[in-house]
Amino acid sequence: MKYVIKFEKTGVICYTSHLDILKVFKRSFKRADIRLDYSKGFNPHPKMGFAQPLSLGYSGYCEYLEFETIDESKSPEEIISLMRAIMPEGLNLISIKKVPELKKTLASITVAADYSITVPVETDLSGSELGEKYMNQPEIRAFKRQKKKKEPVLVNIKPKIRRIDFRTSDDCIRIDCCLDAGSESNLSPELVIDSFIECFGFTVDKADIHVSRTNIQFKE
Amino acid sequence: MRIDKNLERILKRVEKPARYTGGEVNMIRKNPDDVSLRIGFAFPDTYEIGMSYMGMQILYNILNKNEKIYCERLFAPAGDMEALMREDNIKLFTLETFTPADELDILGFTLQYEMSYSNILNMMDLAGIPVRREDRADSMYSYPLIIAGGPCAFNPEPLADFVDIFLVGDGEELLEKVCLAFADAKAKKLDRRALLEQAAGLDGVYVPEFYDIEYESGGPIKSVTVLNSIAPERVRRAVVEDIDSAEFPVSSIVPFIDTVHDRAVVETFRGCTRGCRFCQAGMIYRPVRERLPETIKELAMEQLKNTGHEELSLLSLSTSDYSRFEPVATELMGLCRSQNVSLSLPSLRLDSFSFRVLEEIQGYRKSGLTFAPEAGTQRLRDVINKNITEDDIYSAARQAIELGWEHIKLYFMIGLPTETMEDLDGIAEIARKIMEINYDVRGRKGGRFRVTVSVSNFVPKPHTPFQWEAQNTPEEFVEKHNYLSGKLRIKGVTFNYHETATSNLEAVFARGDRRCGRILERAWKSGCKFDGWTEHFKPELWEAAFNETAEELGFENGDALEKFYSCRMRTQEEILPWDIIDSFIDREYLISEKRKAESCTVTPDCREGCTGCGVNRYAKCFVNCDAK
Repeated sequence: MKYVIKFEKTGVICYTSHLDILKVFKRSFKRADIRLDYSKGFNPHPKMGFAQPLSLGYSGYCEYLEFETIDESKSPEEIISLMRAIMPEGLNLISIKKVPELKKTLASITVAADYSITVPVETDLSGSELGEKYMNQPEIRAFKRQKKKKEPVLVNIKPKIRRIDFRTSDDCIRIDCCLDAGSESNLSPELVIDSFIECFGFTVDKADIHVSRTNIQFKE
Repeated sequence: MRIDKNLERILKRVEKPARYTGGEVNMIRKNPDDVSLRIGFAFPDTYEIGMSYMGMQILYNILNKNEKIYCERLFAPAGDMEALMREDNIKLFTLETFTPADELDILGFTLQYEMSYSNILNMMDLAGIPVRREDRADSMYSYPLIIAGGPCAFNPEPLADFVDIFLVGDGEELLEKVCLAFADAKAKKLDRRALLEQAAGLDGVYVPEFYDIEYESGGPIKSVTVLNSIAPERVRRAVVEDIDSAEFPVSSIVPFIDTVHDRAVVETFRGCTRGCRFCQAGMIYRPVRERLPETIKELAMEQLKNTGHEELSLLSLSTSDYSRFEPVATELMGLCRSQNVSLSLPSLRLDSFSFRVLEEIQGYRKSGLTFAPEAGTQRLRDVINKNITEDDIYSAARQAIELGWEHIKLYFMIGLPTETMEDLDGIAEIARKIMEINYDVRGRKGGRFRVTVSVSNFVPKPHTPFQWEAQNTPEEFVEKHNYLSGKLRIKGVTFNYHETATSNLEAVFARGDRRCGRILERAWKSGCKFDGWTEHFKPELWEAAFNETAEELGFENGDALEKFYSCRMRTQEEILPWDIIDSFIDREYLISEKRKAESCTVTPDCREGCTGCGVNRYAKCFVNCDAK
């Protein structure tokens, strides 16, 4: 049986990394006595995974976990209620869905993700002025860290921004955006933040910026 | 649990922020307003190390079962976190409620190793608590009561100027009693002296301010005066008589991040009967007291169910000495297999049953096999009473190689009493012979087989037959390391050894007296912390601290001061700093064991017949053990 759970990650548990959260789920399945299917081979591991990793410190309001069980006696409703009873604070399970087993992994069909970014700076510009100036740059350039090489490279991120809106209030700017995500094309919100700060010359400590992921979009 | 903006900001800038945010599975949540006593259990090292320590889980569970008490956890923040906390004036806080440590009633440190002492002072300072006991004495209840326990509390003196109350021995019953005494004193608004007197009446409690110690200038203790009629002449250690009925956690906290040991753990027994003469744990945890097989199984299954751990381990000083080891191990193997849980059995004696067990639990994923001969020759093994023979080692090695093990790890100590170069040659000889056995079994090329020889430096410990011995000097250690490096240049053999400077420092604090507190305070003030971490250890700052303290204590220089504690043979007439603690092991027994060591005479395992250590005058031996 293959299932997908939709969940939220909020509060202090945002400071626990992606891989460690996977371990939390693995142990929670064990505690709830839901038997996962294990891969075969020398080092068997349970068949489960997230649609997309979520950076350390980000909140997530629409995260997905897929997993396979060998236990057919429990209904999806039973599974989610058993799990809800034991999940640590901050991991809130929203819903569960049974999916066909042969379907591709969620990770492989992810195409985009929506983010909401709060930047604590004051500005006289309006949201639309910010948006115009930012998006009217012929190229939006940001430094990207590469996997193998140590030197970051300058890349143009503009084609990977699917939508971006700016709103201002007294003490902060809120950016809502939809960015490419997944294995084919991916854009980290960090690069949007860097290029945004750079474009307007704001001085802000990156530690004060809060990012949450509000949605993940899949290929049909 | 909500955290404040300041903390949130710094969490985004530090490595592994989940070290500081708590909220793990099975963490205890209470409303602090509903309890009458709040205690912080502080582990003076990082979260990953502290959370691997079962003692914390045991005591956390016991204290929190009491609805009057809320026990929370604190760890030493890593350097990056500490710097940001100091910058932003964030005090050391508990993981359960983010409460600043100075708002707690009691702050309790666990003393697992001497090299964590500088972290204790640093954590008190980070909490805004004056480190010296005398600086807190006037304002009772405005700072937490500082208490400390654990194996190093068997020589509490080096920390006596900083800690209000030491708890010596098993903590299961004692710690709760001390907490309740404090709650009572607080309710009655008793003054500091009255509170300390209440505690001092309990077995296992040492209140340093009730004792005045006089020293010879540049020499040992001159006299000890008990200043309070309630304080005992010698503090008797606390002993839990029946481990089987003692509380043991079944819902231990499961960390979010990887820790050193991340597994379900059940303690099978406490104490050890082998009587190795260098081993402090083998003396101070006597007598052997077992948990019944049924209880062990229940605890293991409950714990696995409540934690979701994928690994189960048994805890004791010597796994296979459990009197019903074979049936229990067999049954646990079955239970673990059926639940996709791996079983880990540390410190197995390598007999044929153990090999069958290891075959079963490790299968084709064989990790290294570990032997601890401790010394290179039979003569020296007899001196330290490590009762294994050359034959034991080689036949176990042969069996391991035949079963397909490709890595054998050997542990030795150097600097043991009476050691000569011949004993070092013996270490190389054992490594060489094991390589030969491998060639014999696997053929001329020998496959990928490796031997690792790890050598640690002997540190004489209080309450052992070697408590009077001189430690090797740094120069001697270095010479021996170099000698062994040469001798162990053997194909397929790797040689590791411990840093010398920390071993000598460990020896100072292991057998130090109250005056060592001044050295410690200086070293900490100059920036020493995390001394057990090679990358953080600052030998030059320690050297300066010894130099600056030498004169006021009547020593010629820092080197003389350090060697007074580490490299000096004590006479049997000398008053030892830890004589104040009664470990229940007779002094006469320690002396007779020392003599037997000098004449290379072994003392058999006391399961074969009482060897007269004296502990049975205070506690029953072999409780719940299967009499064979």
